[in-house]
Amino acid sequence: MIALQARRARRTELIAVLGLRAAAGFVIFAMMALLLYLAFEGTKTFYVDHFPVWSFLFSPEFTPDANHPGAAVFIVGTLAVTLFAIAVGGPFGVAVGVFLAEIAPYRMTQILKPAIEVMVGIPSVVYGWLGLTLLVPIIRTHTSSPSGFGLLAGGIVLSIMILPTVITLSEDAFKSVPTVLKEGSLALGATRWQTITRVMLPSASSGVAVALILGIARAVGETLAIQMVIGNSTQFPKDLFTPTAALTTEIVTDMPGATAGSLLEHSLFSMAFLLLLIAMVLIVFVRFALRKRA
Amino acid sequence: MIDASPTDTLAAAADKIVAKDMDVFYGSFQAIKHASLTMKAQHVTALIGPSGCGKSTFLRALNRMHDLTPGARVEGCVMLDDEDIYGPDADPVVIRHRIGMVFQRPNPFPKTIYENVVYGPRIHGEHSRSALDGIAEHALKQAALWDEVKDRMHRSALDLSGGQQQRLCIARAVALNPEVILMDEPASALDPIATSKIEDLIGQLTDAYTVVIVTHSMQQAARISDFTAFFHLGEIVEVGPTNQIFTHPKEKRTEDYITGRFG
Amino acid sequence: MAMTTAVPPRRSVSATESVRARKIADAVATAVLWVMASSIVVMLAAFIIYMVYLGWHALSLSFIFGVPKETTAGGGIGPEIYNSFYILILTLLFTTPIAVAAGVFLQEYAKPGLFRNIVQFSAESLATVPSVVMGLFGLLVFVYTFHWGYTALGGALTLTVLNLPALLRVTQEALLSVPDSLREASMGLGGTKWQTITRVVLPSAIGRLTTGIVLIAGRIYGETAALIFTAGLSVTGNHPYDINPFHTAETLAVHLWYTHSESIVPDVDRIGNGSALVLLIMVLLFNVSARIVGRALTKHFTGRSS
Repeated sequence: MIALQARRARRTELIAVLGLRAAAGFVIFAMMALLLYLAFEGTKTFYVDHFPVWSFLFSPEFTPDANHPGAAVFIVGTLAVTLFAIAVGGPFGVAVGVFLAEIAPYRMTQILKPAIEVMVGIPSVVYGWLGLTLLVPIIRTHTSSPSGFGLLAGGIVLSIMILPTVITLSEDAFKSVPTVLKEGSLALGATRWQTITRVMLPSASSGVAVALILGIARAVGETLAIQMVIGNSTQFPKDLFTPTAALTTEIVTDMPGATAGSLLEHSLFSMAFLLLLIAMVLIVFVRFALRKRA
Repeated sequence: MIDASPTDTLAAAADKIVAKDMDVFYGSFQAIKHASLTMKAQHVTALIGPSGCGKSTFLRALNRMHDLTPGARVEGCVMLDDEDIYGPDADPVVIRHRIGMVFQRPNPFPKTIYENVVYGPRIHGEHSRSALDGIAEHALKQAALWDEVKDRMHRSALDLSGGQQQRLCIARAVALNPEVILMDEPASALDPIATSKIEDLIGQLTDAYTVVIVTHSMQQAARISDFTAFFHLGEIVEVGPTNQIFTHPKEKRTEDYITGRFG
Repeated sequence: MAMTTAVPPRRSVSATESVRARKIADAVATAVLWVMASSIVVMLAAFIIYMVYLGWHALSLSFIFGVPKETTAGGGIGPEIYNSFYILILTLLFTTPIAVAAGVFLQEYAKPGLFRNIVQFSAESLATVPSVVMGLFGLLVFVYTFHWGYTALGGALTLTVLNLPALLRVTQEALLSVPDSLREASMGLGGTKWQTITRVVLPSAIGRLTTGIVLIAGRIYGETAALIFTAGLSVTGNHPYDINPFHTAETLAVHLWYTHSESIVPDVDRIGNGSALVLLIMVLLFNVSARIVGRALTKHFTGRSS
C-alpha cells in the first residue's frame, strides 16, 4: 500500500518536472525564434535587395521607392531622444530612488510607491495622448517652434516614462547596501547626505548602472508615446524643435502601409532587427555590471 | 577603605561618560531599564552579560546610534564630560566625531585602505593631502596596522584579512582623534590570533582614549578591562573594578553568570 | 597610568561652524529630494485630473457601449473595450501556466548550471525586447507564416511572449518570499517535492503571485504597439462582440492610437479623450484590485493578514 503510493507519487513527480522543464525551455525557444525570425527577415534588405549595410546605417536618405533606404536619420533620432530621456529622467529617477530607500518616511512611501505603479500601468498611448494634447500645445505657444512636435516633446514624454524603471531599480540598489556600511559612516560623524554620496552611491554604483541601462533600454524601445509627439519627419534634428523620427516611430508609421516583400518592408524589419540587437547589447551590459558586483 | 591600592587609583580617575537613569525603548518594549554607569577616562570599561541583556543597546545609546533606528527612544541623560549628549544643543554629528565606534563585524568601506582611514577627517573638512597622509600614518600606527599595509595603501580594503579589516576600522575611528572609542564585540568574528592582536591594541589605546567595550567573552573582559558592568534583562546588576567583579561579586546573579551557571 | 599622553582638548557637543555648514548641506539636499519625489505625485495627480477634465464629457452610455463609425461622428468604443478584455483573458490563459511553471522550475528544481543560465538570459533578453519589435515578430509568425491574418489569437500569443518574462519574474519573487522552513517542514513529513510545491509553497505564494498577475494584466490591457501588426486595426468580425479568436480584434489602446493617426472621423478629439480616460480608469481599477485580491488570497490560503 505504502509502496504503491510512493511509486505513484514518484511518477507524478517525474511527469511534473518534465512539464516544468518544458515551460522553462519554452522561454529559450521563444527568444531563439524571435532572434532567428528577425535576423532572417531583418537582413533581407542586404542579401535580397543588395543594399549595403554601411549605407543603411549611415545614409540619411530614406527613399525606399528609389531603392535607397538609409536609416541614419532614425538612428540619430533614437539616440537623441534616448540621450535626452536619460539625461533628464536618469538623475531624477536615481534621486527619487535614494529618497525612497533612505529618506522617505513610511507614509510617504505608501503614497509614492502606488503612484509609481500607476505610472508603470498607464499605457504608452495615453502618455502619447497627454503629450499630444497637453505638452505639444505648450511647446507651440511658448517657443519659436511652429508645430510643437519634435525632440523636446518626445524627450520629455520619454523622461517621464522611464522614471518608474530607474526609480524602482535604483531604490533596490540603495537598499541592498549593507546597513553596517551606512552605520560605519554615520558613526564617524558623517551626515546622512555625506553618507549617501560618499559611501552608499559608490557601493550601489553597479545597481544604479543597471537601473540606468534598463532605463535606456526602455527609452530605445518606446514607440507610440513618442510617435504621437515627435513629428515623424525624415530629417535630422537641427534643434530640440525639429520634427524628426526614431527607429520605433518609423516602423509604426510606415509598416501598416508597406507592401509585403517590398524594400520598404524589408528595411523596416532591418530597423526592428537593429533594435533587437541594441536591446541584447544592453542586456550584456547589465550582466557585466551585475557580475562586477558579485 | 580596606580594598587593595589599585582600586584606589581606579577610583581616582576622572569621569568621562556618565549615564544617568537611562531607559531605551524599541516601540513599547523597554530594552534598558534605569541604567546608570560611570565610564572613567583613559580606562577600559567592559559591558558583559548574556545575549539579549541589552549591553549592545546601551553601548549604541552612548553615541546616539539609536537616532537611526525607527521607533527607538532613549530617555535619561548621558553626560560626556559636563554636557548631556541628549541635551537640546547636542548634535549627533559632533558627538560621533568625539565618540568613535567599532562594530561587531569589520565594515570597511569598499574603497582603498587609505580612503577608509581618511574618510572621517575628510567628511569633517580636512582636505590637505599632506595632513591626511600624516593622519593616516598615525592612525594606522596606533591600530598596529601600519607595517602590514604601508606598501599597499591604495589597494582595496576588502583584500585585507578579517583581523586586519577590524584593525583598519579601529584606525578609521582613531583617525578622527576621538576621546572615546565604543567597541561592540569587536573580536567576535575573528580567529584567536587576530583576537589577541585586537586585545593588545585595546590595552595600548587607553594611553589616549577612553574605551567602552561590549564582549560576550568573560575571559576577554577579565584580560583587558579595568571596570566591568554586568547586564541582565536590561538592567545593570553590578558594576565595579574588573578584578573585584570576577573575584568577589556582590550580587548572586553576577556570581551565577561568572561561574557559568547561566547565560 | 599613561598620564603623560596629551589628552585631546575639551570640545563641546554642540555644533561648530563647519558642522553647521555640513548640516545645512544635508538639509538642503533632503529638501530637494522631497521636492523631486513630491513632484512625481503632483504630476501624476495633475495628469489624472487633466484627463478626467478632458474626457468626462465624452463618457456616455452610447460611447462606452456603442459601435465605432468609419467616417461619421458619434462612434463608440464598446467592441474595443470588449476586445481588450478578450485578448487580455486569452493572453493570461496562455502566459500564466507557462510563466508559473517555468518559475517553479527555475526556483525550486533547477540547479545552477548552463540550462538555468540560458533560461534566465533568454528571459532577461525577452524582457528588454521593445514591444513594437515583438509586434513585428507576431506579424512574421502569425500573419505571414501561419496565414491567420490579423487575429485576436495572434495578438494574444504575441502578448504571451511579450509578458512572459515579467510574469516569470513575479513568480520567482513570490516563490523566493516563501521561507525555506515551510518547505523543510513539508518534506520532513514525507511529502514529495511536488506535493510540497503544490500544497505548501504555491498557496503561500499565491497572494504575491496574484498581485503581480493583476498588475501585469493592467499592462496587457493597455498594450498597443505589439497589437497593431497582429490583432489588427478594425473590429469587423461577424459581430462587434465576437468570440471567434480568428477574427480581427482592435483593442481600446490601439483604437486610441489609430483614431489619432489614421482615422478620418470628425470627432477624433472626443473619441481620443474618452478612450484615454477609460484606459486610465482601467489602469487604476487593475491597480486597486491587485492589492485587494492579493491580500484576500493571502489571508485565505495562509491565514495571515498581510
